[in-house]
Amino acid sequence: MSTLSLKPSQRTALSRLWIIFLIALMGVGLVAGIHVLTNGLGVTNLNNHTPWGLWIIIDISSIALGAGAFTLSAAVYVFGLKQYAAIARAAVFVGILGYSSAMLALLMDIGRPDRFYHPLIYWNVHSVLWEITVAVVFYTSVLVLELLPIIIESTPLKRYRLARGIGHLLHRVMPIVALVGMGISMIHQSSLGATYGILTARPVWYSPSAPVLFILSAVAAGPALTVFLTLVVSQLSGRQMVPRDVLYGVIKFIGFACLAYLYLKLWSWAASFYYSRVPERDLSLELLTTNTPYGFTFWWGEVFFGALVPAVIFLWSRLRRHTSLVMIGAALVILGLVMNRWNVTLSGFVVPLDWSPGVREVFSINTYAPALVEWAVAVGIIGYATLAFTLGVRYLKLYPYASEQAESVSQDKVEPKIQVPSPVRDYGG
Amino acid sequence: MTENNQEIQEQTAPSEKANTAKKARTNLVSRREFVTMLIGSGMTMVLAATLAEPLNPIVQSVLAARPPLPTDPSHKRHWVMVIDLSKCIGCDYCVYACEATNDTTDDMRWNIRIDDETETGEVFHVTRPCLHCRNAPCVEVCPVGATYHRDDGLVVMDYDKCIGCRYCEAACPYGARSFNWKDRGDTPNTRAPEWGRPEVPRRQRGVVEKCTFCIHRIDAGLAKGLMPGADPEATPACVNICPVRARFFGDINNPNSEVARIIATTPTLRLREDLGTDPSVYYIPPRGLA
Repeated sequence: MSTLSLKPSQRTALSRLWIIFLIALMGVGLVAGIHVLTNGLGVTNLNNHTPWGLWIIIDISSIALGAGAFTLSAAVYVFGLKQYAAIARAAVFVGILGYSSAMLALLMDIGRPDRFYHPLIYWNVHSVLWEITVAVVFYTSVLVLELLPIIIESTPLKRYRLARGIGHLLHRVMPIVALVGMGISMIHQSSLGATYGILTARPVWYSPSAPVLFILSAVAAGPALTVFLTLVVSQLSGRQMVPRDVLYGVIKFIGFACLAYLYLKLWSWAASFYYSRVPERDLSLELLTTNTPYGFTFWWGEVFFGALVPAVIFLWSRLRRHTSLVMIGAALVILGLVMNRWNVTLSGFVVPLDWSPGVREVFSINTYAPALVEWAVAVGIIGYATLAFTLGVRYLKLYPYASEQAESVSQDKVEPKIQVPSPVRDYGG
Repeated sequence: MTENNQEIQEQTAPSEKANTAKKARTNLVSRREFVTMLIGSGMTMVLAATLAEPLNPIVQSVLAARPPLPTDPSHKRHWVMVIDLSKCIGCDYCVYACEATNDTTDDMRWNIRIDDETETGEVFHVTRPCLHCRNAPCVEVCPVGATYHRDDGLVVMDYDKCIGCRYCEAACPYGARSFNWKDRGDTPNTRAPEWGRPEVPRRQRGVVEKCTFCIHRIDAGLAKGLMPGADPEATPACVNICPVRARFFGDINNPNSEVARIIATTPTLRLREDLGTDPSVYYIPPRGLA
């Protein structure tokens, strides 16, 4: 890695530049956000035919990408795989960034951001969106509880007895917190798919497999983002942030999750479009494939590059040894997930509703491309999450088992020898 | 099953005599109602006895919150609209009257017209208000219950609860909902005063809105003792203005109403019945449409 050969002063300068760049991105988002808040959602390209767009895609993508937190916390605290504590903290932090990004996107997207708390006081328990909102609020609290001990441990707070006591107490109840978190996560990650899957009027969406597809893809992509970021940090710092066996374990898990996702996705497709025929659904697919890149992005983006290629990389032990390949694989899973959320959200709106009783094709296909202001807000949100991660890595003890000093982490090929186990550590805590 | 059959029988009862006989019978307290009342009063007495002397404030509040015993035992109203597609000439009068009365704009119409054709190629016009579905997807998905059913079957909006998430727009199979994308300020209504005057306050930016069957006219009319559907003052603007009388409005549960008679005697269709939304708008199909 080229940065490794830089002098310390050059590295500080570079990292300062990086932070300034991220703050600039946030500034762009802030300006755009203020523009939207003062002038209303009319400044976007959304309309009554396509009422949801880029921000909803960001919202559901970042919640899915935050799923590494519940997956890896569950591994540690519920399934007793203590060695994954080495990466679970980073996953929790990434989870918080994902959920807070989702909240930011939602806050921009709803028409009355000042009423964001309404779902908590006005309940419609029959609404899947109500359930998601409440679950997201609860789960974000769980994430904060999981993060608090890390903050206490990493900052001068640890000098205070009270703070240490809180940290200790939280550590003791963590298995329960993690179990609750896993339950809430599994429900709302699936419900996000149900948001689309239950709408009978939209043949592209209406599908009983949507909730399960959503959680399976989240379980693959959430840890993938954590792994990707961890490897980036490893490359830049020259330290091994997570023991290699732990990393391989997570990578293998992502590979299997990709396979499970592919399995259901292919069956879902075959059952709805190959083995059975519903005229309305067929027509919708035809409209999508002839008017949009849906067919291409579905098969190549979501299926082939988004799940199949990463599964091969992650499950084939000879490929998985190459750090750069693993990074590419993780990036593919992440991109595949975002592309899936994009396709799901927009496909349902692109196909027009058909309620007219006659035979004429009354309604024309709907189109949508995000407006500049929507992109600007998106850039701001990504800037925020990246900056928070950068600062988190610097100031919080996110990787408790990172190697102490710079090892020679070669970019291309990690020596094929089995990793010498690091000195025995007490993972039990 | 039997209930359905009864309903059908009621609707298709040949003479009005049969209807009034049915009505007279429903005036009596049914066995189930009697038992419910008996149990209810018994429980109240037991509660009062066990909690001693001045009623416990909790019990008092429970009693106060109980719906009053039905004083008008006749029937529960359910407003419906009948639109005769064989009569509609596609003049858009109803569209404009709605825009003026409910103060909407061209891109957020509550009531729209489209042109469609039969299999034989004959063009006909469909106007579509909100269908006020009995199983309304919008009501089911709204996270805050900002859109809900009234007892009289109307699907209405609480603009003060709506957070503007637009899930209802995604869920409505008929595209009957529109969002306030902009603050409209005091911009004049382009259809007023030619087609009517705005009768309801303009909605704020950031909330979803839709056709209300002119709920303000219905409620004000009933308070004055008028009958929606029969008295123009209490009837939706789109129904009043129709030059060919293709729209009818009224209470489907009142066998003497025009809408109940039409629905009982004429074959009608409803939009996308396959979705199970059970709309309250019935269409008389044009000639040539099954």
